[in-house]
Amino acid sequence: MKVRTRSILIIYLLGLLLIALFLLDIRLGSISITLTDMADHLLGRSRLSDQQLVILTKFRLPRVATALMAGAALPVCGLQMQTIFRNPLAGPYVLGISSGASFGAALVVLGAGATGLVATWSLAVAAWVGAGTVMLLLLFVSYRIKDVMTILILGIMFSSGLAAIISIMQYFSQASALKSFVIWSMGSLGNVTGSQLNIMVWTVLPLLVLTLGFSKVLNGMMLGEEYAVTMGVRIQRTRLIIFAATSILAGTITAFCGPIGFIGIAVPHIARFLIRRSDHMELIPASMLTGMVVMVFSDMISRLPGTERILPINAVTSLIGIPVVIWLVVMNRKAQSL
Amino acid sequence: MSDHKAEHIILLDHFSIGYQKESILLSQLHLTVNRGEMIALIGKNGAGKSTLLKSMIGLVAPLEGVCLLAGIPFEEYSLRERARRVSFVSSQITQLPSLTVEELVGLGRIPYTDWMGRLTAGDHKKIYKAIEEVQMGAFAGRKLENLSDGEKQRAMIARAFVQDTTLMVLDEPTAFLDVPSTFELVRLLSRFKESGRSIVYSTHDLETAIQFADKMWVIHKGRILEGAPEDLGLSGLYNELFSDSGIKYDEQVGRFLSSVAERGFVAVTGEREDLLVWTRKTAERLGYMIKEGADLKIRVESSTAGVSWILQDRKGSTRFKNLYTLARFLIQK
Repeated sequence: MKVRTRSILIIYLLGLLLIALFLLDIRLGSISITLTDMADHLLGRSRLSDQQLVILTKFRLPRVATALMAGAALPVCGLQMQTIFRNPLAGPYVLGISSGASFGAALVVLGAGATGLVATWSLAVAAWVGAGTVMLLLLFVSYRIKDVMTILILGIMFSSGLAAIISIMQYFSQASALKSFVIWSMGSLGNVTGSQLNIMVWTVLPLLVLTLGFSKVLNGMMLGEEYAVTMGVRIQRTRLIIFAATSILAGTITAFCGPIGFIGIAVPHIARFLIRRSDHMELIPASMLTGMVVMVFSDMISRLPGTERILPINAVTSLIGIPVVIWLVVMNRKAQSL
Repeated sequence: MSDHKAEHIILLDHFSIGYQKESILLSQLHLTVNRGEMIALIGKNGAGKSTLLKSMIGLVAPLEGVCLLAGIPFEEYSLRERARRVSFVSSQITQLPSLTVEELVGLGRIPYTDWMGRLTAGDHKKIYKAIEEVQMGAFAGRKLENLSDGEKQRAMIARAFVQDTTLMVLDEPTAFLDVPSTFELVRLLSRFKESGRSIVYSTHDLETAIQFADKMWVIHKGRILEGAPEDLGLSGLYNELFSDSGIKYDEQVGRFLSSVAERGFVAVTGEREDLLVWTRKTAERLGYMIKEGADLKIRVESSTAGVSWILQDRKGSTRFKNLYTLARFLIQK
């Protein structure tokens, strides 16, 4: 119980840091909108100009909201995969779930030229189906093969295979479709439309709450299936629900933001390091908050303050995540388990 | 008789196990586990020890037959009800998550906690008691990866203990342990009987099992023999078990001895009991049988100057400063 206070303190601190970064991030940009301006506007003391208002509500806030959702959802996917596969290196990206989603998205962007709301929904659904298919394959394989390394290698093979198919599709596609696909694949938080944001909110938020409700069950799965069963966990049902949740979470984020690497795998470890506990009831909120902090921070970096250029978000998160993963692998050699 | 029946925690009837109908490992088993007893399951690798334990507690479906848990068929219990009656420890102590001992043991309360998994003050009390019970009090805050194999296994056992079940099933809990740790662990398990729990564990270590178990299940030639360790000893089973491997069970010493090289008889004499014990052990290890009045004699002399061993045969005698040089001499003889 005494240890728990540390987790609560860390969660508060992360919350404060997140609020600070959030405010800093919406302030950032070529058009200056200060926090006092915004506060005055909200309190009705003075009004922001129409231009400022449009920039704030149509560009900056949706982008930060997207960053927050991606930051909360991807680490949860990673954490669930790490627990269920009992592998510290599992994550949506490594296991090929993001690639499955990318493949679905590629079919929509490169193949069908759907536009508007149809395009938005078909993009989401295609990504879910793609992610879900890879997930099912992993589920099927993991019933037969218990070795965690094998599953990781299979995930890597799935993603390489799908990448190969995607590159063939790119080769045969129209120049304009190709361009929009390449831009999508670099990852962006700023290209999310209003209707996409809507879908994201209505899928991501309920699933995050659902996941939190599965904390106890995830705790029970930490020692492996046999222990889980003898502690009363219904593993078949749990796996199915968790896998579906992960597919939809990772699928949604990938569909609208492009593949975002290393957040899913690295952030749960940062959270574990911070709270030093493995209870999912504490680890899940801590991972979500850490993920949101990292994503908002990455977003600020990607926009290269003081310039007009924007870096692909995937590159920024990878550069942040990779050292964590390397640290993990090196430490893992000493500690044996994580 | 009806009273006797209520004693059964587990009753297996016409129980057949295996992974497929074509490859039955053990068939038509009739076995019982009574309240407050410790059962050791002995058998060679691949004989079906794990499968039997896992079939008994619903981790593997039996091929046929029934398993009654406290008189009621196992399948009629919900998973949570089962978890409150039967706990399990596997031999696997690799690939554990990075938990502290306290966190790990806390997982054992899962069948009792609310949907959020919150531990009550009562739960915490039980957790500390279990940690104390396995003598890990000083390690409560230690991470599993920083523990020795024996400590890890004890922590896993505390997790099962805290689950408050009438039956604890352990699959080769001593698999990775050295001799003293094995002994310690089995003694620890046998203490759990005091709280009315029953323990079933599988092991390769017949010697410790004979010392501590109330009953043994020995898998031999596709059948299971059930009985007190001494019953099975009387039936000559132990020697039969190892008949093809050159190992003999010495009923006097309660140990397994190698019967490979039988070199003849030797008499060991001397004053100090400890010197005699170790000298006999050396001779036995080399394949000699101890017999008074044998032609070959070892006399142990101890004085203020030190200890020396005098080996005497028909040809004469030789003096040695320690058992090692004596043994080297005997081997080359």
